[in-house]
Amino acid sequence: MPEQLLQQIVNGLLIGFIYSLIAIGLTLIWGVMNIVNFAHGDFLMVGMFISFWLYTLYGLDPLFSIPICTVALFVLGLLIYRWIVSKVMKGPMLAQLVVTFGVSIFLANLAVYLWTPDFRLIDKPLLSGTWNIAGINLSVPKFVATIGSVIASLFVFLFMKKTKTGKAILATEMDREAALLMGINTERINSLSFGLGAALVGIAGAFLSTYYYIYPQVGGTFGLIAFSIVALGGFGSIEGAFIAGIIVGLAQTLGGFIFDPAYKYAIVFMIYLIVVWIRPQGLLGW
Amino acid sequence: MGKFGLKQILLAIIVLILLISFPWVFRKPFPQHVMILVFMFGMMAVAWNIMGGYAGMFSFGQVAFFGIGAYTSSFLLITYQVNPWVGLIIGGLIAALVGLAIGYPCSNLRGHYFAIASIAFGEIVRTLFTNWKLIGAAEGLTLPMLDESFKNFIFHSSKLPYYYIMLVFLLLSLLVCYFVATSKMGYYFRAIKESHDVAKVLGINVVWYRLIAIMISAFLTAMAGTFYAQYILYLDPDSVLILPISVQIVLISMLGGAGSILGPVIGAVILMPVSEVTRVMLGHKGTGIDMMIYGALITVISVYQPKGVWGLLTGIAKRLK
Amino acid sequence: MGTRKFFVFSLFFLGLFIFIASGFAQPKVIKIGAIYPLSGNLATTGLDCKRGVEMAVEIINGKYDLSLPLAKTEGLPNLGGAKIEVIFGDSKGDPRNGMAEAERLVTQEKVVAVIGAYQSAVTKTASQATERLKIPFVNSDSTSPTLTERGFKYFFRPECTDTIFAKNQFEFLQDIKKKTGMKLESVALLYENTEWGANVGKEEQKYAKEFKYKVVEDIPYSQNATDVSSEVGKLIKAKPDVLLHASYITDAILYTKTFKELGFSPKGFATMAGYLEPDYLKTVKSDGNYMVVRSTFALDLAKRKPLVAQVNDLFKKKYGMDMSGNAARSFTAPFVVAEAINRAKSTDPEPLTKALTETNIPGDQIVNPWKGIKFDSKTHQNIYATGILVQIQNEQYFTVWPFDMASKDVIWPFAGWKK
Repeated sequence: MPEQLLQQIVNGLLIGFIYSLIAIGLTLIWGVMNIVNFAHGDFLMVGMFISFWLYTLYGLDPLFSIPICTVALFVLGLLIYRWIVSKVMKGPMLAQLVVTFGVSIFLANLAVYLWTPDFRLIDKPLLSGTWNIAGINLSVPKFVATIGSVIASLFVFLFMKKTKTGKAILATEMDREAALLMGINTERINSLSFGLGAALVGIAGAFLSTYYYIYPQVGGTFGLIAFSIVALGGFGSIEGAFIAGIIVGLAQTLGGFIFDPAYKYAIVFMIYLIVVWIRPQGLLGW
Repeated sequence: MGKFGLKQILLAIIVLILLISFPWVFRKPFPQHVMILVFMFGMMAVAWNIMGGYAGMFSFGQVAFFGIGAYTSSFLLITYQVNPWVGLIIGGLIAALVGLAIGYPCSNLRGHYFAIASIAFGEIVRTLFTNWKLIGAAEGLTLPMLDESFKNFIFHSSKLPYYYIMLVFLLLSLLVCYFVATSKMGYYFRAIKESHDVAKVLGINVVWYRLIAIMISAFLTAMAGTFYAQYILYLDPDSVLILPISVQIVLISMLGGAGSILGPVIGAVILMPVSEVTRVMLGHKGTGIDMMIYGALITVISVYQPKGVWGLLTGIAKRLK
Repeated sequence: MGTRKFFVFSLFFLGLFIFIASGFAQPKVIKIGAIYPLSGNLATTGLDCKRGVEMAVEIINGKYDLSLPLAKTEGLPNLGGAKIEVIFGDSKGDPRNGMAEAERLVTQEKVVAVIGAYQSAVTKTASQATERLKIPFVNSDSTSPTLTERGFKYFFRPECTDTIFAKNQFEFLQDIKKKTGMKLESVALLYENTEWGANVGKEEQKYAKEFKYKVVEDIPYSQNATDVSSEVGKLIKAKPDVLLHASYITDAILYTKTFKELGFSPKGFATMAGYLEPDYLKTVKSDGNYMVVRSTFALDLAKRKPLVAQVNDLFKKKYGMDMSGNAARSFTAPFVVAEAINRAKSTDPEPLTKALTETNIPGDQIVNPWKGIKFDSKTHQNIYATGILVQIQNEQYFTVWPFDMASKDVIWPFAGWKK
């Protein structure tokens, strides 16, 4: 019986780390330019599809398509920023909120148009199967995804803290005007951040594609949860998003297991509301 | 915004005559249905506008009020044979109370945080209703096919009564919005939207006025919910409590012009027929083109005309002066 | 001179009148409306249903040597070879569109009957509209029992209800117990929490009580979950003998993978809907083996009814895939409508509806495993509609129950997950 509980904790962590990776990308975009990227889930979908087509057409295992997904999504993010989002930066907040909704609807249905609504699955990834460690079932692809997510998060964290560009991004997040005065090209930082945020969720997509089914609307649920995670962790805070992702993964799984699975997402949203009522800037936000 | 010039009154009368005669010119149910949707979503967009466009609370959770209204009146009708018109008022009051209850702890939230909180609110309500056996849970509620009459708020032989009732509801909500916008309350709302801190300094009770905005918005949205229930005669969480409805309400307001009285109505007049017509003409192939058009339209509007059509029109009017 | 002119003109107008009237009396094209979720969450399902309808219409309009009504003639012989044209309407899975599409198809496209609509909620509102408009609605595939309990005059359902399907599951378990002596005492119910799944859960609770099985878990879940570890964890903890799972396609895939990942192995799985869709086996492949699914169609029925194989061959040639359970159900509906129109010799609603109530299509003229199609005089439910159970073996569907219709023995208990 406690074994089952332990299993649920493990599973909560496995989904939590993927959530973290998705959320980090979102919080980066949010923190730097104050844009909620409602198309974030659809970027995830694009990453998953790229991974799928590389596998199906060229036999490339998802693990090896990660670099390709990263670059492709980086470019996509960059282009969407340059062509669309940058133009609403000076506009009213409502336009900023809504523009990515339009992109989201467009992307999801473009996928329907190009690839039909059919469901796809990568059936024989290189790393598959389940390990059984001390009675706990550990799904190999999920575990690899977790490791990958941790590595990617660490990389981002180091990038932000140690490199000049990363520090410039942080500076822009903290105080846009001051950053401008310091000679930071905030417009370029915006593009970079949007691209980087998209690239991160592209990596998450590649990992997710090793065990989750792929279809045009897959971004929906993941995207929705990601917003709660980012706001829970505090917008702009990478550490916050990372921790919040794990919290939400655990809450969802344990809450569903101990209480009632029918309410598991309601529990997630309730946690968000409670945290935000008590501490409006989120757990680690400023 | 000053609507009392002779030109404006004449224009309003002409539009009203057109709207009243529409179902006599277009006698088929489908165009009448589209206009009913225009009025219904127009009303909800106007309601949203009161708390969003004017008071700056961008809610993506309006569907919760819509569902509460629909469920309240339907449940009361089915279980206690309460007249739907009475149920309409009760539903509105309950929605307002719920708005109050959720709005209070959220009174400090602004911008994105408020938006996400409203989404969370909508989803929580949906989950609750999906599992609440008393009101049908996931199976929903089927309204009884009573004899058609105004008293029963149900009509079988023609859509016309539904059309006119919804039109009256819409005009009612516009009236409410007008009074709000041109009263001191509207001034306070706009101050709050600009800046909470400045509003406080001016002595405005920010929390109290935010709550009022939410309650008015909730009441009107719930009215639309009761209408929906009486019109479609069936509701379940998947049709009256889903996020896409909330999103559509916001998009309509933005497209038409948030922060103006007529903006949301214009948005509904454009978006509802577009979405229905693209669904009819392109949807049946299953290629997703109709939704691609919808998404592209939203993106383009946000980028090039964020003040919406109303902004466009007033801009043109200014230049013509 | 005047009389001659008058005479000539009268003859001319009489001839014109006869010409026009005959045009009206013999429509060259008969329109039928079909409402399905062609976009949105269940788009793959809706498109699958669309394929079944189109295949049926092709056979009706063409000349095929098949034991199906109207197959051997081109079009409807009693109406001068008039052909059927289907106008599709996209419901997007929303009951509000169901109503709007039914009204539009009838009043603007002038369809003489409507078929559809997959989701029971959509069928509910769509058929309400057709009932008001006094136009027949032949429900191809919605299984909610309430649809035929409304006392509607113009609503017909050839297909089974969830009541029948739920009962089938327990009858099947009883038969297994009798045949093998295996101990089966507890079931767990797992169903997606919308109008359909919740109703199935209710029916299953009812029959569990009737057949004296203990329900150790009752789990409704939200569709399109990101992860179902908690639900499966609860199932593992409850240790049921049998899992009854009612799901759409997305969850069928996710749950199958999670069952395997967490090692959930009850004595057997009895499932509905999603497990029958073409995309299911395409994605989960061998992990789908041993799943038992309720159905009203299976390819191996061809052993007793060559018609099934013949139709499937045509279907495969046209679409490159085998006919699925969904496509088979929507395949039957146009035949019911066209056959009735032909018998009534009219497309007017009253004679057509009367003809529908008198429908009596024998079992050897349908691809479904029924004794025939005959509607109860009050409810208009097909009294011969029964379900079968198929099992996935070697990534193919085989009929396993009722045992006297089975082409293969059911593999029970569950043989475990392949590594």
